[in-house]
Amino acid sequence: MEKLISSIDLNAQIQWVIAIILSILVIATTTFWIWNKLNPSKLVDEMTLRTRSWWGMCFIFLFASTVHPIITYIGLAFLSFFTLREVYTLLKLRDADRSTLVACYLSIPIQYYFAYQGWYTMFLIFIPVFMFIIIPFLLVLSGDTDDIIRSMCILPTSLMLGVFGISHLALLISFPEMNDGDISGKALLLFLIFITEANDIMQFVFGKIFGKHKILPKVSPNKTWEGFIGGVISTTIIGYFMGFLTPLNSWQLILISFCIAVLGFMGDAIISAVKRDFGVKDMGDSIPGHGGFLDRIDSLSTTSSPFFHLIYFMVIV
Amino acid sequence: MKKLILIIIYTIFWRNFLKIIIGLKYYNQQVLRKKKPFILIANHNSHMDTMAIMSSMPPRYIHRVHPVAADDFFGGSRFKEILMRYMVNATLIPRKRANSDEDVDPIEVMSNLLKKGRSIIIYPEGSRGVPGVMTDFKKGIGYLVKQNPTVDVIPVYLDGLHKTLPKGKNLILPYNCRIIFGDSINFDSFDVEDIVNAAEKAIYKVKLLVE
Repeated sequence: MEKLISSIDLNAQIQWVIAIILSILVIATTTFWIWNKLNPSKLVDEMTLRTRSWWGMCFIFLFASTVHPIITYIGLAFLSFFTLREVYTLLKLRDADRSTLVACYLSIPIQYYFAYQGWYTMFLIFIPVFMFIIIPFLLVLSGDTDDIIRSMCILPTSLMLGVFGISHLALLISFPEMNDGDISGKALLLFLIFITEANDIMQFVFGKIFGKHKILPKVSPNKTWEGFIGGVISTTIIGYFMGFLTPLNSWQLILISFCIAVLGFMGDAIISAVKRDFGVKDMGDSIPGHGGFLDRIDSLSTTSSPFFHLIYFMVIV
Repeated sequence: MKKLILIIIYTIFWRNFLKIIIGLKYYNQQVLRKKKPFILIANHNSHMDTMAIMSSMPPRYIHRVHPVAADDFFGGSRFKEILMRYMVNATLIPRKRANSDEDVDPIEVMSNLLKKGRSIIIYPEGSRGVPGVMTDFKKGIGYLVKQNPTVDVIPVYLDGLHKTLPKGKNLILPYNCRIIFGDSINFDSFDVEDIVNAAEKAIYKVKLLVE
């Protein structure tokens, strides 16, 4: 316990972010409460529910990311696990795929172990190289070749969506060069998550207020050009002002926030299309008001690995 | 002692395992708060069904709840029988009704349990059947309720557990699934056919509670 407490090291920047997050939540909660008193509607109810879930998610995340690195790894590994479970529940898999799913689930602890050890090369190639060979071969071993190509494609891709992207969050806090001198992996992790989620919210808000021209009419009727452009611009501005968490200079900050905004939109669109194919509105009902885990972390799964590598090129190389 | 074993197995182990690893969600569990004996009826697709129901029982009376299992499938050897009795708290009954006086009548076994203040869990479909499909109910539930009209009948819908452990497989895999409890059924008539129909309808209604 003493070790746990002594390991809580919050530098000034991280304290600032926590203060900002909490004040945003307080402002949102009171705004929706007053709005509900003045003019109750279905939209306000949904917003209130969403805000309540945000409180829970923020507390869990802040707890997991500030207390002890081990808890961060375990927490993120469980996030990957819940995401995979959600996807496999909706996928119509064959009976013969059952034993291969064990290998998919086992790749989570292995990937996070590589992240924990900071073994950069193994971490990078484990899923895209090894698992992409092992999974199809395990499927072959199960003997049933009917429709096998579908499973051969789906299972490795599910690992890219649920495990590979998210595990870069864990690599951020263990990568030696990312935790050197004035660079702090924890602060970078907070920056990435803050900007990605801010981008989700901004695209939603701009879409709700100004949305007219649909950007992907066949995939997601809620996504509009107005929401996309408003979201990208406001996210870039927010990223610029949150720059105190990173060692980047102004133009790098603008570039990286812009990339996160666009990538976040891509992740959102990919998962929207997947949901459309499954014929569901949400991936699950684990987070009230938001849907399933993948509904919330859809954009994170595409922003985290490009973010890591952009930082790598900008700061370390 | 038996109570302690059951609490360790179900309330502590299975409950957390099902919740965290398998992804089972419990809905409407407050209908179990009353301590009165009840007949719990559920659709049946997997061996996990019993684990899910037993893990949702309040620890204070878990030892008084008996899942009912078929003699020919779960009995067989002495070892299996002891395992079923102590680990699952199950009562074994023959699948067929008694033809002569010497045979054990399954309905009578269950009625006796209810009269002793015990609760029972039964699957009126009789077997696990086709994955994900609910088949017609057997008449047994009708006779049982007719003989014990004052006992509460609680309908339960189990959703998705057949993916976790399908019939004929022995690998338990995580899949999000749900167990939904309904309010006890009010029967309009105590005719055997009517009871069976009402029970079937009640389970379909419970299915719609969460959607």
